[in-house]
Amino acid sequence: MYIINIIKKIVASGLRSGINQYIFSVLVIGLTVLLCIPLSNPQGYHVVSYILLFAVSILATFMGIGPVFVASTLSALVWNYFFIPPHYTFHIDKAEDILMFGLFFIIVLVNGILTTRVRRQERLARDREERTNALFQLTKGLSRAVGIDEVLTIAIGEIKDNFTLDSFFILQDGNSILISSGRLQKEKILSQNEYVIAEWVFKNGENAGAFTNIHSETDYTFYPLLGTRVNPGVLAVKQEKLFKGVQKAFWDTFLTQISNALEREFLGELAQKARFLDESDRLYKTLFNSISHELRIPVATIMGASDSLVNSTHPANIQSALCNEIFTASLRLNRLIENLLNMSRLESGRISVRLDWYDINDLVNKVAEDLKDELKPFSLAISVSDNMPLVKIDYGLIEQVLYNLLFNATQHAPVASKIELVVRYKDGEMMMEVMDRGPGFSDEALKDVFKKPFRPEEAKTGSLGLGLLIIKGFIDAHKGSVIVENRKGGGTMFTIKIPTENPDIENLKLEST
Amino acid sequence: MNENETILVIDDELQIRRLLEITLSAHGYKVIHAANGKEGLIDAATHHPALIILDLGLPDIEGLEILKKLREWFSKPVIILSVRNSEEDIITALDNGANDYLTKPFRSGELLARIRAAIRAGENKNDAPVLQVGRLSIDMVNHIARKDEELLKLTSTEFAVLSLLAKNQGRVLTHQYILKEVWGYGYLEQTQYLRVFVAQLRKKIEEDPSKPKLLVTESGIGYRFGE
Repeated sequence: MYIINIIKKIVASGLRSGINQYIFSVLVIGLTVLLCIPLSNPQGYHVVSYILLFAVSILATFMGIGPVFVASTLSALVWNYFFIPPHYTFHIDKAEDILMFGLFFIIVLVNGILTTRVRRQERLARDREERTNALFQLTKGLSRAVGIDEVLTIAIGEIKDNFTLDSFFILQDGNSILISSGRLQKEKILSQNEYVIAEWVFKNGENAGAFTNIHSETDYTFYPLLGTRVNPGVLAVKQEKLFKGVQKAFWDTFLTQISNALEREFLGELAQKARFLDESDRLYKTLFNSISHELRIPVATIMGASDSLVNSTHPANIQSALCNEIFTASLRLNRLIENLLNMSRLESGRISVRLDWYDINDLVNKVAEDLKDELKPFSLAISVSDNMPLVKIDYGLIEQVLYNLLFNATQHAPVASKIELVVRYKDGEMMMEVMDRGPGFSDEALKDVFKKPFRPEEAKTGSLGLGLLIIKGFIDAHKGSVIVENRKGGGTMFTIKIPTENPDIENLKLEST
Repeated sequence: MNENETILVIDDELQIRRLLEITLSAHGYKVIHAANGKEGLIDAATHHPALIILDLGLPDIEGLEILKKLREWFSKPVIILSVRNSEEDIITALDNGANDYLTKPFRSGELLARIRAAIRAGENKNDAPVLQVGRLSIDMVNHIARKDEELLKLTSTEFAVLSLLAKNQGRVLTHQYILKEVWGYGYLEQTQYLRVFVAQLRKKIEEDPSKPKLLVTESGIGYRFGE
């Protein structure tokens, strides 16, 4: 039985070795024999056996086991036929020659087979080393990756490199619900069916899809990504057949590494979210408190003044003063509401930027006009450069930005000081600078003045501190930038940059000249 | 003062109706009000007001629908007074026949000025051959404009923009409307043309181009021809 098995193996591997190897082996043995013909004398035939042995050994270092077997047998027979006396027969006279022939046959066979086996071992070791190396590369890459997206990019790349397979990930959203569009793999949008399979895999923690028993009617095979605390999601691979044996073990290790890295990032993200929620909860409370306060003050003014107007008789000048108070309070309320509405538009992400061409002079004049009363105590210097082209902006949003900046200046700068507005155009960007001689910001405040509601300690009331957040949000919506710095000699300077294209007005100029 | 001009207020907020009644009556107008769209349409038909102030957010019919229905037969000015302040809402209302648009909260003085301008513009139908606005006179027949008898050098497009706005004095014209009227349908998106011409025109006709009184910008909406 054992021998039959070996022969089967040899035949099988022989077939694999290809017919060329057999022909080559036979040729080599034939050639060796021809070269040995001069040695065909009663003293030389032992030497011939060594030469043949040598030829077979050489063959064994690069041939399959089948051709080596054939070469061994052939060389034994040929040696017997041509060289062992009597020549040209398979008959052997001397008993020691029979022994020699037997030994030659065994040695040549063992030598050949052993050499090929060593070679196979060596190849296996090399494969193993390659896999270990691939895993090492993967682990190294994954451990350096920051953020889920980066982990995914590396994982997809490594799967492509090591298995030549296309893959994509479907991750859960943090509440154990799979996100239906494949994250990162943007071009791949999950079909309904694929989503169902992915969900099944995610729930059951087992493979499904192509080449499995479950939901095999799809192009992809889905593998669960199993973490120790949370399961990050599912991996879908487009493969030709399932992995087997060593390959499968390698694949499983690969998956585990990826799962672990994803889980790590996932938990990190969750923790960060929790921290963020904490923070926003605190902000919400602060904001809520200050809203209540800020609403109450003007309402109190309106109630008090109007009550006084209705219920008592005042001379005309007092009456008009009371009316003025009511009007001022209502303006303040209106500003508050406007800011709150803008903030909630920003928060809900419903800001849609409607870009169109505008003459920035128009906008600047409009804001200066709207703030005419507030600006009266200051000396306002507006400078819009002469080469200012039309700009492509959302008028309403930028109007609000400029309004907030100038209004802030009027709230913090000392009376009679200079407030400057400079608008320029440079390298495809509109640059707006607003400068005042107010108290400026503390170093601490400069850092996160655009990050959370800001109210300086010494500020007059009448603000929720949302103004700068709204500015930042609206400028971001324009893909622009806003920075704030303290000026030499005191005061603040806000610099806003908004990218804008150049208007196409070539044919216009022709007509107007 | 426009004695006994009737103004119809269609607004579902009682307080706004009361405020408008007090303010408008104090300025000599006769005020009728309706709390919803159906009433408003009936009142408009029975009282023939000189002007309608319309809220967009009514409980029964969308204000925009009322505006469209009114415009089937009502040619007098309609001013929209609404809390909706998005540019889209305003532009849609103007394109559907509203003469002007004011957002709540509003200043009474501003509202009164708009009412006066709208009524006056409706009265002297602007098909006179020569329009006289302040120091400016625009001769529609000969396509020339003068400022204090001095001939203004205007290109034909500049004149087209100027005369279109002047003919519609007191009314807000949206960018798209002006582009369509002056340049044609293919140019609806070419706001930059309009900007360049308005800037040029201002240099020629305004006292102080940085504080325009004639070609007034309506933020993000369009232009109006001022006093």
